[in-house]
Amino acid sequence: MLSGLGTHGPQVSSLGLLAINSILFASAIWLLMRPNNHHKGWLWSLFLLAIIASGSRILLSGLPNIMPVTILVIMVGSKYGLQRSIAFVILVTVSSNAVLGDGWWTLFQVLAWSSVAGVSAVFSVHNNQGNLSMKRLSFAAVWSVPLFSMIVSLSILDGSMSSLEFVLYLFNGIPFDALHMMGNIFFAVWCGVWFEQILSLQTPSQQRIVREDQHVSIV
Amino acid sequence: MKRVVLLLLLLILLPFAKAESTHSWEHEFENGYITTQPLLVEDSVFVRTSGFWIGDERPQVSAFEITSGDELWTYRSDTTLQHDMSPLMFVGSGDGVCGSWQDILIVAWADGKVTALNPSNGELVWEQQTEVNVIGITGQLGIDEDRVVVPTRQGLSTFCLEDGEQLLRVDFEEIGWRNGVLISESGYHVGTEAGVLYSVSRDGAVSNSSIGDGKIRHAPIETQHGLLIHLQTATGSTLYLNNSIIGNYGYSPAIPLQYEGRVFLATSNEWVSLSCDDITCFEESKSSFHSNGEMSMRILENNSVEIWVPSNTPDGGWGVFNRTSLQRMHTTSFDTYTTAAPGFSPVAMALGNDMGLLHVTLFGSEESPETPSSFSLIEAFHYVLLLSSYLLCCLFFATNNKPKLWKALTLFLLLFTVAAVPEMSAKWPTFAESEVEATWDTEWPEEWRDTQIVVIEIDGKENVIGGLNGYSNVYELTQAASASLGITTDYEDQYLGLYLLSFNGTEGDGWEFTLDGSRSNTGIVDTAIDSDSILRWRPA
Repeated sequence: MLSGLGTHGPQVSSLGLLAINSILFASAIWLLMRPNNHHKGWLWSLFLLAIIASGSRILLSGLPNIMPVTILVIMVGSKYGLQRSIAFVILVTVSSNAVLGDGWWTLFQVLAWSSVAGVSAVFSVHNNQGNLSMKRLSFAAVWSVPLFSMIVSLSILDGSMSSLEFVLYLFNGIPFDALHMMGNIFFAVWCGVWFEQILSLQTPSQQRIVREDQHVSIV
Repeated sequence: MKRVVLLLLLLILLPFAKAESTHSWEHEFENGYITTQPLLVEDSVFVRTSGFWIGDERPQVSAFEITSGDELWTYRSDTTLQHDMSPLMFVGSGDGVCGSWQDILIVAWADGKVTALNPSNGELVWEQQTEVNVIGITGQLGIDEDRVVVPTRQGLSTFCLEDGEQLLRVDFEEIGWRNGVLISESGYHVGTEAGVLYSVSRDGAVSNSSIGDGKIRHAPIETQHGLLIHLQTATGSTLYLNNSIIGNYGYSPAIPLQYEGRVFLATSNEWVSLSCDDITCFEESKSSFHSNGEMSMRILENNSVEIWVPSNTPDGGWGVFNRTSLQRMHTTSFDTYTTAAPGFSPVAMALGNDMGLLHVTLFGSEESPETPSSFSLIEAFHYVLLLSSYLLCCLFFATNNKPKLWKALTLFLLLFTVAAVPEMSAKWPTFAESEVEATWDTEWPEEWRDTQIVVIEIDGKENVIGGLNGYSNVYELTQAASASLGITTDYEDQYLGLYLLSFNGTEGDGWEFTLDGSRSNTGIVDTAIDSDSILRWRPA
């Protein structure tokens, strides 16, 4: 499966990639099938958001780190919890990497976004009434970047890289982290409400109201 | 709908374009780069390509009709090596002691051949072979009445212009590289890679003197105070006048250019205007500029002079200087690393660059080179958007509309970051550079010491080549090495610059390089290399 060591970690053979993607995909299905949620509408919301995240990641691939994926992961994690958000992360990462390029780093991207989702599941961007808090979402847009960047950068570690080189590598990535952060904030501010509407599609329409502050709330 | 428009706006930011000017016509050579000045003679443009060819492709000399750009003929060398850097030489018809000749285009090749071509149809008139020591001829030829003077790899030969008969041959102890020849009253003067200046009289008597610890990579310049030599050294370059040091400058000096009482110099750091008076030559002015190849001169109608200096940087372009300072930058839509001087004629200008693009502008059309345009629709749109978002920020701040202010502010900051990151990412790593020892392999030949070496690991096998010289960034060195090793390369132009996709068609998980044992976090065109750098490519 592992055909050699490179600076992005082991080079994975085609068969290895197939196996990894199969396992990831099966994990996503399993996580989605677990009957922990009685509302079924969430599934379509999640699929729709996965298509939006994956499609926009591919379309915006020419602008590094500008994509709505991280914000969507935060919102899905906060709204649906860790289990669904990991499934969401796997679907988005595997499907978009099929176009953008697959490899060992796919695992680290899944791990990094899953970590972001996990933290947002604990430190929710929704308030006690279930309403999206733009302040929390904006804050999450910032803290999610170093967390994601740190974990996804682990993929470059191999036997030849010293800890100093790794720190330098992280340091040199700061401009791109800044871009990631600005992209996150941009998508949070401009698209957060829209994403929240999609996340809330399972709720009967008569129960949905829109507050004056443009945030969706469910009563 | 609003989100769709937003997404489209973001997508518009993708294809950043450089400032560009209009042109008459252009031609792209797919099998090499242009590193020597195109020649414009009457209705024809002659240009040669150099390295980076692969497989059955070979460097070539081509002629184009100056107005239409139609290709008139192409002459290919099936035997030459990489790095054909000897400038083309056109010689008008004439006669002399050794015979008479028609118009000929003389081409010196890296495999040591000297060929005289018929400029009207590209047919071979005569051909001669000179010695090869790894490589053949790379310096500028000279004309001495009825003969062409050829600085060969390790000596000097002269050939009759009529039939190529060898008239003189002398051997040197050291090798030369881009070592053009100066023809003076006393004879011929050529420098070597050991910093030795050879002087050869017309009857073949040879004398030499060591100028300094460095390399002479241009024809010496004759002044009233003696020979001027810009010696390339390990720490930069040193300027010698009649064997005395008169200045120290930056790395990789360009070929100096002489005009009346002035000599113009360039290095990786500066452009220098020297003035020679009755006493000596001295530095009159200096401008910050990066140029390592040729310079050329254009005499304008009002008898003023322009010095055109190619910028050997990722942004490319040509600095246009008067006798003392930079007047403007001339840019085109295909600017990149450039070492070839522009070619001029009374009716046109020809530009060539490292991407193998020939770009010819006809004077008299509204596309004059003196009116460089710096307009790009996409760039302009980006800045309009940036400015608009800033103005919206001001408006919403003034009206205390916080939700909209926040939106406008995030749009402004995103647009600003998108514009700033490419340049920032190139400069950022310099804050944290670390010195790492070069990874010299004891099995490599000693001749490779202090030269540029490239190691490419493909399928676990190391492909190594050394003894390379004169390359200024990872891209150039990689291309030269892979071409010499017979390895194909594929590149992709991305948002942050050129990206190496594959060696020999193998993409794998990508490719990464180390330079002198240390990883670099800048791109292949932004990573500068030293004259003794060791570049190692391996699968990521």
